[in-house]
Amino acid sequence: MEGLKKQMEKVQGRGWWIKGLTAWLLGAMTIILMVFFFLSDKKEFSENENRYLGKVPVFSLDKVKSGEYMNDLEAYMADHFPFRDFFMGVKAKAEMAVGKKEINGIYVARDGFLIEEYKKPENTERVGRILKDFAKELEGQDVGLRLMLVPTAVYVYEDKLPDHAPARNQMETAEQIYSISGIIPIDCSGDLIAHKEEGELYYKTDHHWTTLGAYVGYQSYCREMGIDAVSLEEMTAQTVTEDFCGTVYSKAGDYDRTGDAITIYTNPSDCLKVEYMDTGEVSDSLYNLEYVDGKDKYSLFLNNLHPLIEVTNEGADSVRELVLVKDSYANSMVPFLAHHYKKIYIFDTRYYKQGVSAFIKEHPAITDVLVLYNMNTLDSDLGIRGIY
Amino acid sequence: MVFSSIPFLFFFLPFCLILYYGAPYGWKNKVLLLASLTFYAWGEPVYILLMFFATAVDYCNGRLMEKYGSTEGRRRFFLICSIVINLSVLAFFKYADFLILTVNKLFSISIRPLGLGLPVGISFFTFQTMSYSIDLYRKQVSVEKNYWNYLTYVSMFPQLVAGPIVRYSTVNEELRKRRIKREEVEEGLIRLMQGLFKKVLIANQAGALWEEIRLLETGRVSVATAWLGATAFTLQLYFDFSAYSDMAIGMGRMLGFHFPENFNYPLSSISVTDFWRRWHISLSTWFRDYVYIPLGGNRKGMIKHLRNMLVVWFLTGLWHGASWNFVLWGLYYGILLVLEKYVWGKALEALPKICRHFYALFIVVVGFVIFVFDNMSDLGNYFLSMAGLGGNALWGEECVWYLQNYKVVLTAAVVLSFPVYPWIKKEAGRMESKGKAVVSILSMAGYILLFLVTTAFLVNDTYNPFLYFRF
Repeated sequence: MEGLKKQMEKVQGRGWWIKGLTAWLLGAMTIILMVFFFLSDKKEFSENENRYLGKVPVFSLDKVKSGEYMNDLEAYMADHFPFRDFFMGVKAKAEMAVGKKEINGIYVARDGFLIEEYKKPENTERVGRILKDFAKELEGQDVGLRLMLVPTAVYVYEDKLPDHAPARNQMETAEQIYSISGIIPIDCSGDLIAHKEEGELYYKTDHHWTTLGAYVGYQSYCREMGIDAVSLEEMTAQTVTEDFCGTVYSKAGDYDRTGDAITIYTNPSDCLKVEYMDTGEVSDSLYNLEYVDGKDKYSLFLNNLHPLIEVTNEGADSVRELVLVKDSYANSMVPFLAHHYKKIYIFDTRYYKQGVSAFIKEHPAITDVLVLYNMNTLDSDLGIRGIY
Repeated sequence: MVFSSIPFLFFFLPFCLILYYGAPYGWKNKVLLLASLTFYAWGEPVYILLMFFATAVDYCNGRLMEKYGSTEGRRRFFLICSIVINLSVLAFFKYADFLILTVNKLFSISIRPLGLGLPVGISFFTFQTMSYSIDLYRKQVSVEKNYWNYLTYVSMFPQLVAGPIVRYSTVNEELRKRRIKREEVEEGLIRLMQGLFKKVLIANQAGALWEEIRLLETGRVSVATAWLGATAFTLQLYFDFSAYSDMAIGMGRMLGFHFPENFNYPLSSISVTDFWRRWHISLSTWFRDYVYIPLGGNRKGMIKHLRNMLVVWFLTGLWHGASWNFVLWGLYYGILLVLEKYVWGKALEALPKICRHFYALFIVVVGFVIFVFDNMSDLGNYFLSMAGLGGNALWGEECVWYLQNYKVVLTAAVVLSFPVYPWIKKEAGRMESKGKAVVSILSMAGYILLFLVTTAFLVNDTYNPFLYFRF
């Protein structure tokens, strides 16, 4: 009897010992992570998240009083947490393991697609009115104004979304904006859907359309404008990378996926001069292939973002001049458009603040104006406010 | 700095604990005080003066009550001083703008709101300091002669921001003399981790679901989705709040203190009365002991009882936030509690238990819908959606989508809302005593896995809001 009791105590002691051990292990893991934080090299830039990480804030009494110092310090701690990318991956895996089909706003879609959701649009009225005001500014100018609102993958590849995914119809919103703005629309959504089986029109890991997608958009534009589109066969194709892991890949955090290929086209009959007005750089190509080695490979189109780019083409098939007001979607369409315009002025209204309409008035040679945005950034970043 | 954040868990807390355990016994309170003040000043660099003020007032009142309180009348004078000052501070910082806006609306005038930020934890620490003054007046505790001790009690970081509302009488002995035992530290850490897992893996996820549903256009919400949303919010609130209490209690134990339990599986209640015995216990007992019973409770006839209920539940509602929906929420419970006592309580008891669960849950879920919308027209719209009167369908594809995405989290949340964990612990204990250490090893592996996943969520998380900052 006495022996049994002793045995019992011993066994209970063992359970207890393990429970205690659990606590110590958890505590030790915490401290190890803390130590790693202090010992590790601090990266300045996160390739994966494509942003600069927080820096050690400079101490000042005012910043302490306002709480800014503490917030910055917290951001610094979070940004440089050890094994950050590993943990981001663990989070994505854990969510997928419990059956989540949407991670950080990205649908885990069929055929290897990661597709960014379309959030409830908040600024439809406002965007429509901004565009209407822009059109009003141009009244009396002898230019053809067109508005092209491009759907994102969530619209075109709706059939690839996970079952039951709640999809808002982007083109309904686009219709509203077309009608409020009163600008002649160029709707490429039907063409995109018609061609969607012919190849990938959107990247599987990025929020942009592929060069092929941009080509379909270009065909819609040409048809509406009465231009003869250059066929892809007449152009030179070059696959510049096969492992482009874009923004939605980073957002979702599932790092086991393979990247996309990027193909670029050049028209042999073009003779280009590309001027970046902010940096003063001049180039003879619409591509900057240095970006192929970095993370943000889509930036190879038109050398990333610039407030104003002037493209002159001595080999163009007309003497018309185009103003293109756009977001990054247009960057991969410009190589096709360039053939039809002697000059293209490309504005990114997030950065160009001098007023596009004033520019148009000062340049009477301009014959066409195209406003091109994708439906996601149009509502979310409101860069379009800079349009006039 | 919220508990469930990288700066707190991986920097502040380990650092404090190392200092705390390393300090000689006589220095431990000083380390604790310094840590707590740093913690508070971190979030409220200016308002920390307010906490010094509030504690100084009650400390001085206590000393004066002790020195000059030879008669009941004098003691009462000091008590009233303390209460008036505390409530004025609370009213000024928390309710002034609410009052101004209400007055503006009533008389169509336009006094400018003050636009003061709400000092973190003010609702908690003013209630704590008041409990000290009242207990002292009632001679239930003896006077605190050391201001730093008193400040340590009020500012103690585990419970400063979100409770439980620890009374002075609960911890005054431990403030002076406590033993820090290894097993207590271990158990405290486990409790802290449980709270952390609950907060990050359940409350935040249920919260994400609720946010998705609340942002849907009214017409797009089917009845099923509306109820799913309300349920998700209920689970979020419970797991969020009780997780904070778990973490507070756990950290308290690691420091050698024993704080009261604050939740006892409220979502497994079988009546409204039962719910309020199990939900935010430290608050409901505070109102019971310091408002309801002094007013006469239910022993002075039905009319007075009704009045007392009205007062207590108006105040309980208002305590939760300076907005009418909180008052409405409080009164909703006041009325239901009265009805349960005088009208259908007996009939309810005759029902099968499962029906009583559903009855209580229905009331709780509807109640939290009132709680969450501070805009009355949004609230009305949501109720219409829940009732199917908003021109919405009974069932929609979006509901399948949400269930599919959140099935594991929701199932875990529902299961853990019932006292399953104590049962598992008991069974595991039985298995262990039969010599099966495998249970302990499995649980250890489980904790480590959950810790890694939780850390992953924290690293990823931009979604880490803290619901209780409005209190």
